[in-house]
Amino acid sequence: MALRTRIAVTFLLLLAAVLAAALGAVSATNRANAEREVQRQLDVGVSVFSRLLESNRRQLTQAAQAVAADYGFREAVATRDTDTLVSVLENSGQRIGAAMVVLTSLNGDVIATSGLHIKAGTPFPLSAEQRSGMTGDNATSLMVDNGRIYQLVTVSVRSPLPVAWIAMGFELDEKAARELAGITGLAVTLSVNSGGHWTDVVSTVPAGGGRQSDIVTRRIEMSRWGNAEVVAVLSRSLADARAPFERLTKVLYLIAAISLLASALAAFWLARNITRPLQDLTQAVDQIRGGAYDVTLNVERRDELGVLAEGLQLMQTAVQSRDQSIRRLAYEDSLTGVMNRTAFGAALSQALATADGAPIAVAVINLDRFRRINEHLGYSVGDAVLTKMAARLAAVPSVNSAVARLAADQFAAFARLQGAQYLQAWGTSLIMALADPVFVEAQPIDITATLGLALATEDTASADEVMRCADLALEHARREKRPLAIYEEALKPAARDQLSLLGELRRAVENDELRLFFQPKMELKSGRVAGAEVLLRWQHPTRGLLYPVDFIPFAEKTGFIRRLTRWTLDHAIAQGARWQSQGQALGLAVNISADDIADLRLDSRIASLLTRHQLPPQLLTVEITESGFIEDPTRALRMLDAISALGVCLSIDDFGTGYSSLSHLASMPVDEVKIDRSFVQGLESDPEFAPVVRSAIDMGHGLGLKVVAEGIETEAAAARLREFGCDIGQGYLYAKPMPLAVFETWLAGRERVPVIAVPVDFQTEDLTDTVTLALY
Amino acid sequence: MNTPHFHRPLAALLLGLLGAQATGGAVTVNVTTRTGAAAGDAVVVFYPLDGAPAATRDTAVIDQINKNFVPRVSVVRTGTAITFPNSDRIRHQVYSFSPAKTFSLKLYAGSPKTAVTFDQPGLVVLGCNIHDNMIAFVGVVDSPYFAKTTDTGAASLNLPSGRYRLRAWHPNAVAALPSREITIASAPLNIPLTIDVDGTSTAVAAWLE
Repeated sequence: MALRTRIAVTFLLLLAAVLAAALGAVSATNRANAEREVQRQLDVGVSVFSRLLESNRRQLTQAAQAVAADYGFREAVATRDTDTLVSVLENSGQRIGAAMVVLTSLNGDVIATSGLHIKAGTPFPLSAEQRSGMTGDNATSLMVDNGRIYQLVTVSVRSPLPVAWIAMGFELDEKAARELAGITGLAVTLSVNSGGHWTDVVSTVPAGGGRQSDIVTRRIEMSRWGNAEVVAVLSRSLADARAPFERLTKVLYLIAAISLLASALAAFWLARNITRPLQDLTQAVDQIRGGAYDVTLNVERRDELGVLAEGLQLMQTAVQSRDQSIRRLAYEDSLTGVMNRTAFGAALSQALATADGAPIAVAVINLDRFRRINEHLGYSVGDAVLTKMAARLAAVPSVNSAVARLAADQFAAFARLQGAQYLQAWGTSLIMALADPVFVEAQPIDITATLGLALATEDTASADEVMRCADLALEHARREKRPLAIYEEALKPAARDQLSLLGELRRAVENDELRLFFQPKMELKSGRVAGAEVLLRWQHPTRGLLYPVDFIPFAEKTGFIRRLTRWTLDHAIAQGARWQSQGQALGLAVNISADDIADLRLDSRIASLLTRHQLPPQLLTVEITESGFIEDPTRALRMLDAISALGVCLSIDDFGTGYSSLSHLASMPVDEVKIDRSFVQGLESDPEFAPVVRSAIDMGHGLGLKVVAEGIETEAAAARLREFGCDIGQGYLYAKPMPLAVFETWLAGRERVPVIAVPVDFQTEDLTDTVTLALY
Repeated sequence: MNTPHFHRPLAALLLGLLGAQATGGAVTVNVTTRTGAAAGDAVVVFYPLDGAPAATRDTAVIDQINKNFVPRVSVVRTGTAITFPNSDRIRHQVYSFSPAKTFSLKLYAGSPKTAVTFDQPGLVVLGCNIHDNMIAFVGVVDSPYFAKTTDTGAASLNLPSGRYRLRAWHPNAVAALPSREITIASAPLNIPLTIDVDGTSTAVAAWLE
């Protein structure tokens, strides 16, 4: 539930509860009040009624006494002057409005009357006792005569002894009852018991008014003295008594309803007053969360919400400044101040998104031999060089600051070109920008850079892909030792397949999909077969035959190369041993990678395989590229020593391309060097290469090593190499690498350089089993 | 208060008369209530059966002291003139509606000049028109032989010898006392009478007739 609704509803429920309680209390009190009021009214009524009777009594008594005391009256009584008596009675009755005045003898016979139809000489309806009551003289009593009720008082006439009685009375008629009702607010009924059943003589109760159950009554017995049983019934309708309270209750309900309505409006208004700014703040918070820091907050309010808004405003500023510094850290290269890889990727993405068909060129730039600057001149110089290079790149107009430092000595830049054909020119302009020597502490430093260029096409829509293409181009350039290379489709390895390649390689080993191919090594001066280089092929179930270039680099990167090398050694040694056992011994060369050299048990494994398959060590040559020594030359050298100690031949592959110095070579237990195919091919195309090749051969010989030339494709090249004294040749001129069966056919009938060797049993633990177990 | 209060000269005269009657005897009537209490203010009358002496013109006085008639009960021979002096400092108006003597003395103070002659036998009830509580009884009898009991309930008189009818009356008597014949000789006579008295009743006993 929204805060607004909750506030309002809580407020209203509370108010409603209070009102309900108040109304309930008022209602209950009113009900009780009404009943109490009725009871009180009845009490008052009874009291008033008795006072009325008392007042009547006094009035009657006074009047009667006045008459009785009158001397003339007494004289008239004494003389029985009836006419005079009647007139006196009438007169005295009229004075107080008495309904009746009667003069009786002491024994109760009527002497004279006024207002009552009783004849003189007849007995008075009330006996002396009924008349006189407890108080004797002037007592009040009730008389029922002819269906009328009288309150009367009797007074004796003395002359001076009692000689007669005067009875004077008021009629308790409808008028009297109404008067009483008027004073007390009660209904008055006077009932007479005549012969066992009660007759209402006088009643002010409206005919048929009010339910009987709703009437509260008070009964007053009045006939203690008199000639009939008379009761007065005072009554009050409860409903009537409640009516004013009920009107009040109705008014209260109306007030409650109005106040509830007003409160509802007020509550909603108040709640909205609170929640609307809250909503505004929430919206502002959402915007700030979304990264908008220019949200304007209403901080005008002087209440808590204003304080909150102000706090939010301050927070926004603080977050913004922190965000900027984080952004800087996240997207800026702290050394050079240019973008880092992430920022570059984002910028490039942005540029690609808005390119609108214009070609975007990306360059990945590697500073050549930067490690050496760090090593020889110190890191501070290196850092200075990097900073200057970054500044130079950023200053190239076409680049327009779209520069990033990707790694230690690697930069990237991108630019929007006028057309795809300007890619090469753009790359050249970058190289030119970096070409001038850098002066650090007044010391000129020559820096060259290698560039990989890629153009964003529809295929390479994403920044990542363009970058990778540029990377591939850079790699290609470095491989080709060219300052610049442009990415082309051919450079793209089966990159997409690499993820599944590892799994497939494992399967290849398990399913025996690997094949050994053999390329003969020829003794140049005699033309005899001197041995064979064992090359690995992968008979891929779907992609056909794969060359080492398709999977060896990957295997090297993932470490799977050791597994492949072991497999190759195992199968090559087994095959060599078969030939040996058939009396057709042939030397086999197996390629070993740098990672294999790092395997501390490589020598033991080789020894174990030689022993198991019973191949003489001299028939195995291990070929290593120079890069195999770079990582840890000392350890590599120790391993080579160990292998050499087994009697296995060692060959340096790609001789002349690496960094290995002659001094290195001299200290190594190497048996032969293989001159790189680029020398041999150069020999065929460029006469100037001949001295280089010759000196390389001489150098090998000078170190006491056998020299092998590979990549021989023409007889002319073979002739020159023979001329230079090269020992062994290898290449298409003689034979391509062949599967076992083809190679064996090729071998048949060819003369071989004779080999005499015997197998050696090395004392080693049998590691061949663990080869298969210690899978990756 | 209730002691008989005759006018002294009158009493002396009466005694003189009785003393002159040589023959006869002293008679004492003792009136008691049924409970044995002495009943004062009872009137005792002896009617001579053998011829009454000639009427005389007697006088009597009924005073008004402290809003009371004194004496409250009087017995007089028919033809007696009674004067009503007013000893109070307030005025009184003496009246009677009794058939034996109806009269009214205008409101007065001091002694009125004229006396009221009671010339008819019977009971006369006197009242004061302005003081309802003032009531006096005057028994007017046709016999010279009457007396009123004292507080002891005794009434003594000397009667000549002869036969008499004795009648008695008391204001509070419930019923009339029966009359009886008495013969007087020389020997003193003691006559006891018992009456029913109701002291609370406002009614007055019927007169002798």
